[in-house]
Amino acid sequence: MKTCIPKDREYELFEAANGREGVEMFQTVKPDLVFMDLTMPEIDGYKATEEIKNLDKNAMIVVATADVQPKSLAKVMALGAFTVLKKPPRKQILEDIIDKVETQIEKSSS
Amino acid sequence: MNIEAIALFSDEEKDILQEVMNIAFGNATADLAEMIDIFVVLNVPEIQAMKVNDLSVYFKKNIHDFDKIWALDQKFWGDFSGSGFLIFPARSGKTLIDLFDTGDTEEVESKQIESLEKEVLLEIGNILVGACVGKIAGLLNTNVTYSPPVASQSESKDFSTLVEPFNFNQTAIIMKTVFEFENQHINGLLFLITNQDSIEWLKKALYDYLESFDE
Repeated sequence: MKTCIPKDREYELFEAANGREGVEMFQTVKPDLVFMDLTMPEIDGYKATEEIKNLDKNAMIVVATADVQPKSLAKVMALGAFTVLKKPPRKQILEDIIDKVETQIEKSSS
Repeated sequence: MNIEAIALFSDEEKDILQEVMNIAFGNATADLAEMIDIFVVLNVPEIQAMKVNDLSVYFKKNIHDFDKIWALDQKFWGDFSGSGFLIFPARSGKTLIDLFDTGDTEEVESKQIESLEKEVLLEIGNILVGACVGKIAGLLNTNVTYSPPVASQSESKDFSTLVEPFNFNQTAIIMKTVFEFENQHINGLLFLITNQDSIEWLKKALYDYLESFDE
């Protein structure tokens, strides 16, 4: 996943080891974009997405998951995820998603 | 008896293998969801290496909740060789049949339930084990062939038949995933066990896989 993120854009990356840590980190780091796995220890990605959206309804969450069951994808979108990135990620697809997120953030702030 | 864990993989290798297993099982469950209306709750896969001698104890420890089990065993061959085991508690057999509801319960009643359970397990197992192993092989850029799956019901205390095909002097790599069929109260376990002969290939394939993202 990390290797697919464009290096020339100099994003700052923070990594959480599980869902709980991810929610805590969200509050301290306040990132522009969260990549969220679904299968995680402590709390899973559904719960973590829900908690982050409760903390900030405008949080941009891209669910990056291997769980490609239609019901899983529908569930995360209902929780407020921006979109879903199916694993394994491909560079171009990831870059396109980041572009969309940036556009959305610009729109929201203007 | 204690199971002696063997440090066969570096943390990085374990991480990649765990991710590959996660992707593979995720795809396999999506394939299953296409066939039957089911939602599979996935857990983080576990990767472990141990002596084949310890496998029987390992199974006992991991399947202690079930009195009697349905076990599906499917072997695969190639650069990545081994066996896939899908384990369900025997009591979930009837629910598994209902999942493949034919709409004709009388027919279900008239046939031997055990034989139907076996058929359903073969169907589910073929998808979960086959798709999972196939996806791992695909991600790691190789091909595998399969032997036909075999389903059997047995006392959960005896795992000797599952372990028999492995060479007792060798090391086994175990990839385990615990899953749940939501709203059906069915828990199951999927084990992929590969032996020492695949290790060198597997390590190289994992790094090749990682490098493919730099291209």
